[in-house]
Amino acid sequence: MSAFNFSSPSRQSAKGIVVILAVSIYKVVKATIILIIAFFFKYFQNQNSIDFTNPIVLSSIFGLLLLFLVLAILKYRNFMFHVNDAYFILKKGIINKEEVSVAKGKIQNVYIKQNILQQLINVVSLSIETAGDDKTEIEITALSRDKAAALKQLLLSGGQPILDDQKTETDSPIYYKASLRRILLEGVSENHIKSFVLIFGFIIGGYNDLKEFIEQLSISHEVSNWFRLDNESFIGLLIFNAAIVVLLLFLSFMLSLVKILVQNFNLTVTRSKNGLEISKGLFNKISLGLIASRIQTTTVSTNRLKRSLGLYQLAFTQAMVNKKERQKFNIIGLSKAQINELLNQFYPNILSNNTRHKPEMYFVYRILLISVIPLMLINTGVFFLPKLFFLLNIPILLFLGLCIYFVYKKKYYSIDEQYIIVGGGGLIDRTTSYLEISKLQAVSIHQTIFQKRRGLASVKLFSASKSLSIPHIVIANARNIKNYLLFKVESENKDWM
Amino acid sequence: MTPFSNDQINIAALPQVEAVKLEPISPKYFQILVFNTIIPFAVFALAITILRLFVDSDHLIIQIYWYIISVLIVLSFGQIFIFKLGFKKRKYALREQDIIYAHGFFINETTTLPFNRIQHIEVSRSFLERRIGLSTLKIFSAGESGGDISIKGLPKSVADAQYAFLTNILNERL
Repeated sequence: MSAFNFSSPSRQSAKGIVVILAVSIYKVVKATIILIIAFFFKYFQNQNSIDFTNPIVLSSIFGLLLLFLVLAILKYRNFMFHVNDAYFILKKGIINKEEVSVAKGKIQNVYIKQNILQQLINVVSLSIETAGDDKTEIEITALSRDKAAALKQLLLSGGQPILDDQKTETDSPIYYKASLRRILLEGVSENHIKSFVLIFGFIIGGYNDLKEFIEQLSISHEVSNWFRLDNESFIGLLIFNAAIVVLLLFLSFMLSLVKILVQNFNLTVTRSKNGLEISKGLFNKISLGLIASRIQTTTVSTNRLKRSLGLYQLAFTQAMVNKKERQKFNIIGLSKAQINELLNQFYPNILSNNTRHKPEMYFVYRILLISVIPLMLINTGVFFLPKLFFLLNIPILLFLGLCIYFVYKKKYYSIDEQYIIVGGGGLIDRTTSYLEISKLQAVSIHQTIFQKRRGLASVKLFSASKSLSIPHIVIANARNIKNYLLFKVESENKDWM
Repeated sequence: MTPFSNDQINIAALPQVEAVKLEPISPKYFQILVFNTIIPFAVFALAITILRLFVDSDHLIIQIYWYIISVLIVLSFGQIFIFKLGFKKRKYALREQDIIYAHGFFINETTTLPFNRIQHIEVSRSFLERRIGLSTLKIFSAGESGGDISIKGLPKSVADAQYAFLTNILNERL
């Protein structure tokens, strides 16, 4: 048995007071940030408004801090948790008492997290994720690492006593550790165009502000000299715009690189009998256990560059409300062999499934029809420019053609006795989603009036987390798929979690 | 435990969703749709009419007042017309193992939810529904991605009977 006793109510580590204090101060500051900024702005504008050496001001600030401290201590004193045979029970609240109990069998996941403050005082937080709504948020903010690990194991054991062979699982060898090189490569080979378009779209509204801003900078004189902005020559303007584009590209490149590095620093994956253990993060360390039966969909994604570098990402989804947490179930920088190995662990025999079906050609016509709209918009704009600019249509048409070709080429679906696979992607990206038929929640057939004329329909497959879609297939096929899937779900009557 | 079998499944012999005769919802529900469409337009029209009383006679609002009113009328009638077109498409059916709900004129959607995936069920009655004896039956599956069914405009007796039927199934499952 573990060295910790969770059967009687216990508090978190006394260091929790620090964490609670920090969290409550952070919340107050975050809520009143505009007021605080306004106050300091005012303070520096006229020096004689408030005297910080005045004992009344000092004591009120001190009193406020003391109040926070007392509240934190009370919160800590009133925060008790214990685990019995089937439930995790948490009692909290100073004035409004609250008791939360979670059946062990309903726990989706248990995270162990550590932010910078927690890293400094050497505690971890443990949060429990259920499939319910996000009102039942359970987080114990300060536990020693050993205690948290023991509690996690107890919670995930599903009510059974911990056996010896399960205990050794925590020491099982590391299956995969992402090297810094692979993480950096992942960051470099991201689809930067996507994040660039986002930033670009965000900035384009404020283009004039940006121009003004650059002109106001102290270097503006030199910059405008470089670009000859003042003589308003057309080439100068073009170079100025190109420089902004390059700058933005660089910015989005750096942003996604840093983001990926911070999120995935020290990414480690350990395999166990019934799942995976993932830990990662630089400032916010997180470790989470993934139980095979709780996985809903799995998506393998890569792009042209990553593929040639042998980089693949694996993303799992679970039944839960918090969309923000989803990012945490990603494993980046895997090789093709590792992807196949992991897929085989969670979806035995899936790779033998080879019959791929394509959507009907209407899929292509529809994209063609939709892409006429931006093309027309661009051309109305070009209409007012010199005739030469109509040549812009050539690269645009080429780009559109390639995009449509690859979107169609990469789209496929396949369904066998156990699994549904949907492949997709665009010019650059490629994704493949896997779903076990027994994890289906509902099936629906969509048919627009345009599809009806052609005898087509789309099938939407709902799981407890993500839904998959099979677009634009012959209606008879859609019905067959629906009937078959419903038959499987209803006749097998397997549990979905 | 049933013995393991893995015979080939004859797709044509499977129970077919499309062969089921779907039941229409109560025609009275159309009154609620009409009412719900007209109210927001009417409130907006009323607001403008009141505003009209307080402005000068050459104000823009007075000049375009009748244009606004006619646009509102056209929009609300258009909305009602679309509801009328789609109303016949609102259908449902119960099978031994699942529940089917179809709706939508421009995008027709037929959702089927197996009973063994139901998380909870709910019968709700708005003020208007109570007045004309209708209920809404909501059936929730797990997760966030949709796949829930909400059958609006069922006669109260039908909704209650189905609620009891489904509750019975849920209880047997445990």
